Amino acid sequence: MQLKQTSPRNIRRPLAAATCSLLTGVSHAGGLIASGNNWKIDSALMLYAEKDRVQLAEGVLQVGKEIDDDEFVNVRMVADVLTGASPNGAIPIDSAQTFTRPSGEGTYSAAANKTPLDTSFRDLRGALNVEWDKPLSTYQRGIFSASLSSEQDYLSTGIAATFAQDLNQRNTTLTFGLSYNRDSVMPQGGVPVGLSTMPPFPATKTTTGSSKTKNVAEALFGITQVISRQSLMQLNYSWGKSNGYLTDPYKILSVLDSNLSGDLRASNPYVFEKRPDSRAYQSLYWKGVHQFANENVLNLSYRYFWDDWGIQSHTVDVRYRFDFKAHHYLQPHLRYYQQGKADFYRQVLIDGEETTLAAASADYRLGEFVTRTIGLKYGYEFKNGAEINFRMEVITQKGKDQAADAVGKLQNQQLFPNNEAYLLQAGVSLDSDILMKVLRGLFNY
Amino acid sequence: MPRLVRRADYFVGQFAAMASDCEVLIDTDNQALAQSICICAVSEVTRLEHKYSRYRDDNILYRINQGGRMEVDEETARLLDYAQQLHTLSDGLFDVTSGVLRRAWHFDGSDRLPSAEQVEALLPLIGWHKVYWHKPEIHLAAGMEIDFGGIGKEYAADRAVLAVNALLAEQTNHYDQQTPVLVNLGGDLAINGPRRNGAGWQVAFDNGDKQTEGFSLQQGGVATSGDSHRYLQKDGVRYSHVLDPRSGWPVKHAPATVTVVANSCTDAGMLSTLALLHGAEAEAFLRGQGVPYWVRTEC
Repeated sequence: MQLKQTSPRNIRRPLAAATCSLLTGVSHAGGLIASGNNWKIDSALMLYAEKDRVQLAEGVLQVGKEIDDDEFVNVRMVADVLTGASPNGAIPIDSAQTFTRPSGEGTYSAAANKTPLDTSFRDLRGALNVEWDKPLSTYQRGIFSASLSSEQDYLSTGIAATFAQDLNQRNTTLTFGLSYNRDSVMPQGGVPVGLSTMPPFPATKTTTGSSKTKNVAEALFGITQVISRQSLMQLNYSWGKSNGYLTDPYKILSVLDSNLSGDLRASNPYVFEKRPDSRAYQSLYWKGVHQFANENVLNLSYRYFWDDWGIQSHTVDVRYRFDFKAHHYLQPHLRYYQQGKADFYRQVLIDGEETTLAAASADYRLGEFVTRTIGLKYGYEFKNGAEINFRMEVITQKGKDQAADAVGKLQNQQLFPNNEAYLLQAGVSLDSDILMKVLRGLFNY
Repeated sequence: MPRLVRRADYFVGQFAAMASDCEVLIDTDNQALAQSICICAVSEVTRLEHKYSRYRDDNILYRINQGGRMEVDEETARLLDYAQQLHTLSDGLFDVTSGVLRRAWHFDGSDRLPSAEQVEALLPLIGWHKVYWHKPEIHLAAGMEIDFGGIGKEYAADRAVLAVNALLAEQTNHYDQQTPVLVNLGGDLAINGPRRNGAGWQVAFDNGDKQTEGFSLQQGGVATSGDSHRYLQKDGVRYSHVLDPRSGWPVKHAPATVTVVANSCTDAGMLSTLALLHGAEAEAFLRGQGVPYWVRTEC
C-alpha cells in the first residue's frame, strides 16, 4: 500500500504534549491533541425578574471544538422567553389611564399614581452565533464570526472579524476588530409615525409601513499588556455608528396641557416617541486583572461611553475571586453604572411641542440614572474538569426627575420608573466525553 | 538482582528485561545511593514488564484481550488514551490492535509468505476505531488484541527515570546536586539530565557499516526502531517486518533501522516507529519533525 506523497505533517508538538500527559498524568496546557476529539460544552439557565415588570428565562448552550492545531470553532445558541410589563414612557398621574395596545387590538390601563406599564410583552427569541478562531501566522490570530437573532418583531444579522497580533515575546497583544449588523424591526400594528398621536381605541395609529431597518458598524482598537506573571491590563477604544430606524416603536410620551397645571391635555394626550436616525458613539475601556499569591483573582474594569445624542456613562465593575481548596470558588461582584441623559430625553411634552421638536423620547433607558449591582457567584470544579456554578445578583436602578418636566402637580409624582431586578443563573461546563459517560450512566447503556 | 559494577567515575547496574540487555548508569561516587537508584529503576521496569507483557496470563493486558467490558486502572487508561491520540496523529499508521498480524507473519528469514487470504482474514480484527474505549471502560470485540509492544520499552525507560527522580526527591535534600542517571533498555535510552561535570552522556551505536557513530546526549531520550534480522525474502523481494496496519502487508522500502533523539524516550520511539511506517518517505517524515536522526537503509 502506497503512503501519501504529500509532505509529512509536523507532529512533534502534539506528540510531546500527548507524551507529557502519558508520563506525568497531567495534561499539558499545550496538549491540544489531548482534548482534540471532544466538544467542550457550556450551558446555562438564567432567570431574570424585574419587580412587577418583565420576567425573562434564558437558556444558553455553547459548544466548542478544536478542529486543528490551535484552531477553534464555537457555536453559541440562545433561546429566551420574555413576559411581563414594561414602562411605556407615559407618566403616572392622579387618575387612571387607558392606552391602546401596539397591535391596535384592545387596551390596557394604569391605576392612578402608578407608572403605566405596557402588559403586551411576550416574546420568544432565538439567537445563533458561529465563531471561527484561527492562527494566521505564529504571532497572529483571526477570529471570524456570524450571528443571527430572531424575535417575533425583530431580526438581527451580523458579521465580525477581529485580528490579534502578539508582540514583544507575546507580552503585548494588539487587537483590531470590525463588525457590521443589519437589523429589521417589524412592530406589531405597523411602524408608528414619530411624534404622531396615539388615538383612543378603537381608532388606530398612523403608520409608515410595516418594517424598518437599521445598520450598525463598529471598529475596535485594543492593546493587552502583560505587566508581570500575575497581572495584565487591557485598554480598548471603540467607535460605532448606527443609521436608520433607531426609535422604539412601542414607547410614547405624555403631553401636558399648556396651562402648566400638570394635567394631561384634554384630547389625544399621548404621542409616539421619535429619535434621530443616526447615532455615533465611542467608548474607552480599561481592565486590570491581578492574581494574588494565594491564587485569588481581582478583576477591575472601568468604561467611559459617550455619543452624539448627548449621553455619557461611567461603569465601574469589580470582581474578586476567592479560590478555596478542594476546587471551590466564590466570587463577589459589584457594579456601578451612572448615565447622563440624551439631549432629546423628556419625561413629558407640553402641548404643541410635538409639532416643533425634531426628536423626543421618554424611554427611561435614555434618562439620567444610576444602576447598582451586587452579586455573588459560586463555582465547583470536579476532578474530571467539569464545572458547575451558580450566580445571584440584585440590581437597583434609580433615576432623576427632570425639574423642567415636573410642572404643577407632577412635582408630587415619581416620574422616573425606578426599578429593582433579580438574576439567578445556573451553569454547567464540561467535555463531551464526560457528558457521554453521564448519559451512559443514566440510561445504563 | 541487578549486578552493580563500579566504573571510572560512575556505577552501572546490569540486568535483563523485556527481552533485552538493560543497564542503569548512575553518575555518583556514593555506592549505597547507586544501589538504591539501581533497584528503583529495575523494579519499575520489571513492574511494567509484568503488567504489560503479552506473554503472561496474569496481567491486565491479558484480561483486556479476553474481550468483554472491563474497567482499567489509571496508568493503563493513560496508555490507551495515548494509543488513541497517536492513532489520530498518525492517520491510523500507529495502531495498538495490529499485533494480531503476527498470526500470519513470521519474519524468520525464510520465504514463507502468508497468503493474501490469510492476511485478509485478519483485517477485520484490526483498527483502533473498532475498540470501545471510554475511560475507564474498554471493550474489545472477540478476536481483537491490544499490544503495547510499540510503546512499552520506551515508556518503561522514561518511567524508570521518573521513578528514580521521585526517589531522589524523597531521599535527598533539594539543594543537593541531582544525581545524573541514564536508563538503557536494549538501546532505548532515557536520562534525567547531563552528567555531573555538565557534559552530555556519550552515546555510541552501530551504524551498520561495522562502524560506530556517537553523539552527546544532554537531555531527553533516544530510541531505535527496526530490526535488520527480521525479514522474509521471496523471488528476490525483501519483506521488512514493518507491517502497515491498514493493509496487513509490510511497508515497502522501509529503512532497516531508524534512531531518533527527542524530548523523551517515548517521543523518540514514536517518531522512529512512525518513520519506519512511512517506508520510502521515512527520511522526509523525520526531516519534517526537526529532530536529530540516523537512518540505516540496508543491513
